[in-house]
Amino acid sequence: MDKKIVKEIAAIVGEEYVSTRQDVLLTYSQSASTGFDGAMPDLVVKPGSTEEVAAIVKIANRYKIPVTPRSGGTSLQGEVIPKYGGIVIELLRLKEITLFEDLRSVRVGAGVTFGQLDKFLNQHGLWVPVYPESSLACTVAGNVVVNGAGPGSSKYGSIAEMVLGLTVVLPTGEIIKTGAEGNPNAPGPYLRYSFGPDITGLFIGSLGMFGIITTISVKTYKRMQFFDYNTYGFETAEQAERFIHELKQNDVNTLFISLYEGQILDFFMEMLGEEYGIPKYDWPPYTVSLIIGHVRKDVMQSDAAMAREICENLDGFVINIPEFPRGEWEDRLRTFARASYAHGWHWRILYHHHTPMHWHYVIEKIWEGLDKFGILGQTAGFATGHASFNFYPHLYFDPADKEDEEKVRAMHTWLAEQVFKVGAVPFKIAPYWFKDVPEMTDYLNLVKRMKKEMDPNNILNPHILGGEE
Amino acid sequence: MAQIDIDELHEEMLQCRRCGLCREAVYEAKGFNGICPVWENTSGFETDAMRGKIMVALALVEGRLEKTAENAEALFQCTLCGNCTQICPAEFEPNRVIEQVRAILDVPIKVRDSLADNIFEKDNPYDEPADKKREWTRELDFSIPTTGETIYFAGCTAALRNPRVARNTARILHIAGIDFAVMENEPCCGSVMMRTGKMDKAVENAQEAAKRFKEAGVQRIIVSCAGCFKTLKKDYEELGIEMPEVVHVVDLAKELIEQGRLQPTDMDEEMTITYHDPCHLGREMNVYDSPRDILTAIPGVTLVEMETHHDKAKCCGAGGGLRSYDSDLSKRIAASRVKEAEATGADIIATACPFCETNLSSGAELAGIQLGTLDVVDILVKALESKTKK
Ligand SMILES: Cc1cc2nc3c(=O)[nH]c(=O)nc-3n(C[C@H](O)[C@H](O)[C@H](O)COP(=O)(O)OP(=O)(O)OC[C@H]3O[C@@H](n4cnc5c(N)ncnc54)[C@H](O)[C@@H]3O)c2cc1C
Ligand code: SF4
Ligand code: SF4
Repeated sequence: MDKKIVKEIAAIVGEEYVSTRQDVLLTYSQSASTGFDGAMPDLVVKPGSTEEVAAIVKIANRYKIPVTPRSGGTSLQGEVIPKYGGIVIELLRLKEITLFEDLRSVRVGAGVTFGQLDKFLNQHGLWVPVYPESSLACTVAGNVVVNGAGPGSSKYGSIAEMVLGLTVVLPTGEIIKTGAEGNPNAPGPYLRYSFGPDITGLFIGSLGMFGIITTISVKTYKRMQFFDYNTYGFETAEQAERFIHELKQNDVNTLFISLYEGQILDFFMEMLGEEYGIPKYDWPPYTVSLIIGHVRKDVMQSDAAMAREICENLDGFVINIPEFPRGEWEDRLRTFARASYAHGWHWRILYHHHTPMHWHYVIEKIWEGLDKFGILGQTAGFATGHASFNFYPHLYFDPADKEDEEKVRAMHTWLAEQVFKVGAVPFKIAPYWFKDVPEMTDYLNLVKRMKKEMDPNNILNPHILGGEE
Repeated sequence: MAQIDIDELHEEMLQCRRCGLCREAVYEAKGFNGICPVWENTSGFETDAMRGKIMVALALVEGRLEKTAENAEALFQCTLCGNCTQICPAEFEPNRVIEQVRAILDVPIKVRDSLADNIFEKDNPYDEPADKKREWTRELDFSIPTTGETIYFAGCTAALRNPRVARNTARILHIAGIDFAVMENEPCCGSVMMRTGKMDKAVENAQEAAKRFKEAGVQRIIVSCAGCFKTLKKDYEELGIEMPEVVHVVDLAKELIEQGRLQPTDMDEEMTITYHDPCHLGREMNVYDSPRDILTAIPGVTLVEMETHHDKAKCCGAGGGLRSYDSDLSKRIAASRVKEAEATGADIIATACPFCETNLSSGAELAGIQLGTLDVVDILVKALESKTKK
């Protein structure tokens, strides 16, 4: 990169927050997406304010340099891998947290992680009830940009449902605020849908192609203190699926519901069983792990009784091993990492939503693929919001074996096509979702027109949307 | 530290899944309030925390990055404190990996060469004459023999930089009636060479040290330095070097208090103390209770915990050779640890390692914080001598 440009950027943030060193650039060429190829940027910059972000973007726009915003760098599908020769703007210095207790909301800088926010809110008896299992390293903003979900989502939906408004630096360097905060005289964030159409939503799940979020305002809730943890066994997938549906229909406060096949559960137990103190057990063909939570004990107890009743009415049985869901919940900020990182495998993940009633179609497809490509994998997932189910199959490979990794990449492409055919929708868009999917052409064309309008020089994350630039 | 198998080490590095938990995780329920002290006290690029350090290490080992001192900086800007290992969900020990990569990389790092040369010539890394190492014994009102079955191994830092700790350890042993000696030719344990990757020299030094212990007929070694403790006990064992029993004075003193052989009494003042866990004593050797038990056995002492403590404790900044490699950063880290101590309302931050104590006091000075930094032995001696004087 031209030294003059580096100087201009350093003048904005200070020398110590700019780097063009090879070793530093190397560490920004990659992220937690271990199964994806990296790319070296030319410069990394760590701004300390919205205004600094805007000033950097203006320079990038002037010189038409590709920019990749980056927060925790924990995303798993290659999203945050930069462009060769580009700039990475890392936002971790934006650490401010402002609570609006009366508005039941909190505003955080783009560098605030879920773990940091949770600790802050805990002092006030509050929380944001959705936690991705990378909560200790990923940021709230980053999770909104990738449209994340996690423990808590079975009741509250994806993180998008929590958002009240944003501060965004547009690709041309203007700063906008969305939601109630669009009015500078508003007492703070209290309403998302204001000033016409939902502009906030444009940035949710955008992977940063429409703008760089510098602050994010989310809803807060009273922290739940009463939980019922249990596991429920079923002989058929249909019974287990129906159980999830009926829990929802009966308004049981299902904070987190996961559905496992017996063999997958055995696999999990091997990784987490001892750590969570789970007794040895011959798991049934299908197990639902359920966490009911509430701010009031009586309601929690009544919901727990209802869950048991629904289970038994469906000819299922209450397993009464609470250690598994309790472990999942109490370690919710990192269970996924703990469960996945044993054994030394690396993996590719394929995030998508289906419905609980279609759960078994997806599972069948995943198993078919694992057999077809001869690789190891697993098929975890959890209920997310109103009527959807979040899947994140893992396809494992040995990081030292290129051939193994190639097989995983091939199955990944195949599986994306297959699950799309059986009705899945992506959350966390990634280029492979749009390749060879003619059904999505018109939709995509619209997004591309919007992108062109907002980012005339195509500088912000130009690789999103099917890899086209 | 055992001999290094490069293929195995490479496999270990591939264990890192780049989740980034080792950067700044705040996990209140599990006691973490940030992880990497280097990341926190620098500009905070990826190279500053473990995830980036491993990426750099891999690239250097695989030849994707040129082996220059600048490109290896990330590997040396690390206290090897192991807090990242504590949170890491993968099945490996990242801090140990970095220590080993330092050893196999042939990168010119001036500081580590001069440290090693000093140790070989003068039995200490501080470039002090070897015979100065026993000078601290002169200011005691009892004499210490130079040979005996039990020795107090003061270590270079207590002997040459923090002699108060050496003297107070000796006083405790004396009060308890333990017969002990301090060697005339006390070797350096070689910790700093192992940490900075001078492994072949460290092994040579360790063998020489073990030989000296053997020749002197030593049966038991008492140490007051966390680094010496870990090195003499754990690293030497991993190298297959036969050693006498090695005990840290806090474990011993705790036992002596329980047996009634040491009776701490009121120091005529109330003291609120917070205890800093040295990485080499806590995370590495699992010694957490003894120093705390000693402090709480002293009447008038109230023990308060910092936000991070026990196995989640933040580092003082001195370890891993960082104090020599980048002393400004090392002191900044100490300053932030002292701030954490100050927030408890304590009058004193106590520790059980002269190396930590020295750095923490530099940190207090840097931060302009009026907080006493002492070793547990300093406080215990006060409580014991008030009794002996009465
Ligand atoms: C162990 C592990 C467990 C995980 N578990 C979950 C889980 O349970 N649920 C889940 O949803 N995800 C999970 N993930 C995936 C990942 O953590 C999330 O997608 C996360 O929210 C990404 O946030 P980040 O701050 O790390 O973003 P990054 O990885 O830094 O960035 C992600 C994308 O957003 C863009 N971006 C980042 N910040 C901004 C910004 N401020 N403005 C505009 N664009 C921006 C980037 O360019 C990139 O396209 C997991 C990952 C790991 C490693
Ligand atoms: S916590 Fe462990 S696996 Fe995760 S990035 Fe750090 S060293 Fe790698
Ligand atoms: S060992 Fe300590 S200083 Fe080194 S990377 Fe890990 S946490 Fe940071």
